[in-house]
Amino acid sequence: MISVRNLVMRLSAGGHPVTILNDVSLEIPPKQVVAVMGPSGSGKSTLLGLIAGLDRPTSGRIMLDGVDITDLREGEMARYRREKIGYIFQSFHLIPTLTAVENVAVPLELRGDADAPERAARLLQDVGLKDRLTHYPVQLSGGEQQRVALARAFACHPSILLADEPTGNLDSTTGRQVIDLLLGLNRDHGSTLVLVTHDSDLAAQAERVVVLCDGRVESDRSLAFPPRPSGERRP
Amino acid sequence: MSPFPLRMAWRETRAAWRHFLYFFVCIALGVGALVGVGLFATSLEQTVIREARALLGGDVEIRTSRALSPQGRAVLESLESRGIAWIHVSELVAMGAAADGATTATQIVELKAAPEEYPLYGKLVTEPDRPVGTFLPEQGSACAPSPCWGALVQESLLIRMGLSVGDTLKIGQARLKITGLVRKEPDRVANAFSLGPRVMISRRALAASELIQPGSRVQERYLIKVPPGTVPQRLVAELRGRLAGDSARIRTYRDAQPMLKRFLDQLARYFGLIGLTALFVGGIGVAATVQAFLREKLHTIAVLKTLGADSKVVMQTYLLQAMFLGLIGSVAGVGLGLGLQAWLPSLANRLFPSPLLQQIDLTSVLGLAAALAIVKGVALGLLTTLLFAIWPLLAVREIRPALVFRREVSSGLGLAATEQADGRRRWLRMAGLDDLPRAGIAAALAVSLAGLAIWQAGSLTVGLLFIIALAVAVLLLSGAAWLIVRGLARVPAPTSLVLRQAVRNIHRPGSQAAGVMVAIGIGVMVIVAVSLMEHSLIHHVGKSRPSDAPTFFFIDIQPDQLDPFVRLMEREVGIAPKMTPLVRSRLFAVDGVRVALDEESSQAQQRRREGRTRWYFTREYKLTFLDSLPEDNTLVKGAWWPRDEVPGRSLVSVEEEAADHLGVDIGSVVEFDIQGATVAATVASIRHVDWGSFSTNFYMILSPGSLKGAPYTYVGTIRVPPEKEVPLQQAVVGAFPNVTAINIGEVLDTFARILDRLSLAIRSVAVFCILAGAVVMATALAATRYRRLYESVILKALGATRGMIARGFAAEYAVLGAVAGGIGVGLAAALSWGVLYFFLDVPWLFQPDVLLGGLAWTVGLTVAVGVLSTFYILGRRPLPVLRQE
Repeated sequence: MISVRNLVMRLSAGGHPVTILNDVSLEIPPKQVVAVMGPSGSGKSTLLGLIAGLDRPTSGRIMLDGVDITDLREGEMARYRREKIGYIFQSFHLIPTLTAVENVAVPLELRGDADAPERAARLLQDVGLKDRLTHYPVQLSGGEQQRVALARAFACHPSILLADEPTGNLDSTTGRQVIDLLLGLNRDHGSTLVLVTHDSDLAAQAERVVVLCDGRVESDRSLAFPPRPSGERRP
Repeated sequence: MSPFPLRMAWRETRAAWRHFLYFFVCIALGVGALVGVGLFATSLEQTVIREARALLGGDVEIRTSRALSPQGRAVLESLESRGIAWIHVSELVAMGAAADGATTATQIVELKAAPEEYPLYGKLVTEPDRPVGTFLPEQGSACAPSPCWGALVQESLLIRMGLSVGDTLKIGQARLKITGLVRKEPDRVANAFSLGPRVMISRRALAASELIQPGSRVQERYLIKVPPGTVPQRLVAELRGRLAGDSARIRTYRDAQPMLKRFLDQLARYFGLIGLTALFVGGIGVAATVQAFLREKLHTIAVLKTLGADSKVVMQTYLLQAMFLGLIGSVAGVGLGLGLQAWLPSLANRLFPSPLLQQIDLTSVLGLAAALAIVKGVALGLLTTLLFAIWPLLAVREIRPALVFRREVSSGLGLAATEQADGRRRWLRMAGLDDLPRAGIAAALAVSLAGLAIWQAGSLTVGLLFIIALAVAVLLLSGAAWLIVRGLARVPAPTSLVLRQAVRNIHRPGSQAAGVMVAIGIGVMVIVAVSLMEHSLIHHVGKSRPSDAPTFFFIDIQPDQLDPFVRLMEREVGIAPKMTPLVRSRLFAVDGVRVALDEESSQAQQRRREGRTRWYFTREYKLTFLDSLPEDNTLVKGAWWPRDEVPGRSLVSVEEEAADHLGVDIGSVVEFDIQGATVAATVASIRHVDWGSFSTNFYMILSPGSLKGAPYTYVGTIRVPPEKEVPLQQAVVGAFPNVTAINIGEVLDTFARILDRLSLAIRSVAVFCILAGAVVMATALAATRYRRLYESVILKALGATRGMIARGFAAEYAVLGAVAGGIGVGLAAALSWGVLYFFLDVPWLFQPDVLLGGLAWTVGLTVAVGVLSTFYILGRRPLPVLRQE
């Protein structure tokens, strides 16, 4: 359950105040798949980042599974994020000095799992990268890097998965494969998924689409069909 | 701590070890200097302990300023029945002249008369290698018609007098045939200052020389070897009782060695402090590397934070990594130190003209003590790494995970924001006042740095003084560097593209110019300050001596030689010498309290009389009697005795510092032991003496008549033109063989030479500071290499030639060097002035050549280091670089 109430975010860019989010409220029930859409600069990524506790809002509240994260201290937030939240970036954000398997192992190791390397290897196998375990990010293609990021995001079985334009840096074929993998994994893990995207085809696979414009919620509608991996044939 | 930081630290190191090459070198240089000096000191100390008996010359030494009385001698002879062996060695300064007219050269020598049994411990190394006894006996027909004795001499005597082995030498009334060379003498150490080369003869030859007369300046030593089972300490107690009448100093090899040890210890500690300075300069490099590394790692850290790592975990990770690198650097430093230590003894032997080190068989023993020096070096390296890495790592707390999805907005961007913080906040931040943990760490840092310094100095005062001086220097350097960097930002940009680029590179945000200036400035400061002090001291002592200062001191002139000596002077140079009577004595009692000659005989007295004060109690006093106050003296208390009127009782005028240390005032009674007889005198006045005047000056002057009957000699001083120096010395040696001529010019030359070598030794350790500074600069340049590369290819793409870019770089490094050198030289001037004025009471000398030389060397160094560090950028082609971006 994600509950966002009256969220406001103001920043200064070059000395001028800019309002990024302006009184956004949102309730997302558990296991729902939500697509967040909107033009560039509408505040999509900032909303996602605030839900993950990556920054502090100017005002408003965010509750995750009944916990108000707005006032958590940095250390508490980090531990909370470690347990509950998976995050996928448009530009992958793998750590360049670590191999694929080490990148996936990081959240497990942070949690103190003794078998982190083995579990990381299994997760990579699940995303079809069992031959790439010891490759460094620069030795992987964009699609492969995003698959590593997927494996990393799911490593701790998060109850909430946040994906920020996961296909934005990929060509359409690769993007499709990554999305299928993401939705499939999400179904297996039963996480709440919030997906920021420009791609209406992708948004169509969500249960609900929220559109932001100039920092406000412009529309919020549920779709008739439940999400399915696009590889499956529709009736 | 979870295992994550450890694993992550290992992975980061594995990936980026090339970035940390300078990090190693920074730590390795400092640790190398410390370990090298530490090991050298340890092996010296161990040698001193191991060779303690040889260094003293026996298990027990009895030392007096005249031969033992017949009763005293009988005491020693009675010991023989208990299996205790003893020998008598006499040491004195005398004049040597070539006999048989081989040359007319005369030379002051340090004469030693020893029996065949010498030495009791250790080995006298001679050339050719034969027992001592074979060199010294009477030489029969070899030098007919008159008899002569064999003598071992130091090679420097042959060189100075133009003689060779087999030639004959005349000392006093004795003719000596040089039969061999003495290379190493076990008990001739610890006197860094020697008046002349050694000449070793037999006791019979000494008697034949007739040099020892009442009041002559001689050191009589009785060296004792005890059989196993006899405790030297107990023998000393016995002898002190039985030889009470001879006012002798009696000590065992155990008592003698602490003095030498203390001296070596102190020497090592001061060198160690310079090593520590090098390590701290290296610390600046560590901080610069960590800061640059963090800037590259912003992204990774933000990602780690989105994955749930908190600041603590991230700091642990990078701190562990720094410590790991610090450990590697320290271990490399130990290697460097071991190499240095292997090479130091030979360097030290070349540097020190004194027999101190040449006479000791230095062997490096890698025992427990050496391990201690190594462990200490590694610990200092690790602590320095920790202290200097933790400061920049605090910025980790400010890196917000939001960085990964919002690069372009200026709020919450961690390091970038730190650099752009406005001036006032930055001052607060630098002072640590806006942030409690930071303030706490700053305090802990200051305490730890002071602790390190105190540990290395082995003294609270010296350690604190050192750290305060260093802190002041760093503050002044960074203040000046900051002002100049800010100033450069304010002045209008130069019109030349090359210069503009150079100036911009110095004051742009994130430039480490200030740190580089501090690091290089400190090294420059140390080296230039030492040079300035050395030159000022030599100038003060040597060239600034008054124009009427004497050329010669003639000592040991017997009373019956007074008139002939004065007549000889008048005949040779037409000037009458100043003749002063002199009696050698020791303090016997002050206000009725007996003075203990032996340091350990009265523990309570020893405790009260530390260092300098003890010296005033136990030193030998040369007494004189005068009817009027000498020229360079002024009375500060009491009154001078009336002229031409012999007072009823003996009066004494005491020099003010001596009076202070001895605790005497007008009316106190001081008793002197003059060759076994006691003379009491009442303090009538206290004087201030200008010791720099080069006249014969005395701590104690007695009223005329007080010393009647005492065995006195005369000291003659005279000033002669340079061209008459040699003939006069020859004439005196010819007419009065027992009189020793001390040439002030030569003594000053020796002093200057020792000072020069000492200064050179200090500067060679200080080179480590400069090297560390250069590495810090290379570090800072390495941190900007990508930006420089990018800029230079853009400039090339826009039509700049390689030469233009190279000139821009060179101009930047020259400005950097000029500023660092300027501040360093300025601080060196201030530091040397302070030390000279407050501690040595010597005027500071303006030396433009040293100051400008220091500046020029610094600029040369920075340009060289800079060009070497960035040379590779010049050759890069623009397209591949731009394509990567």
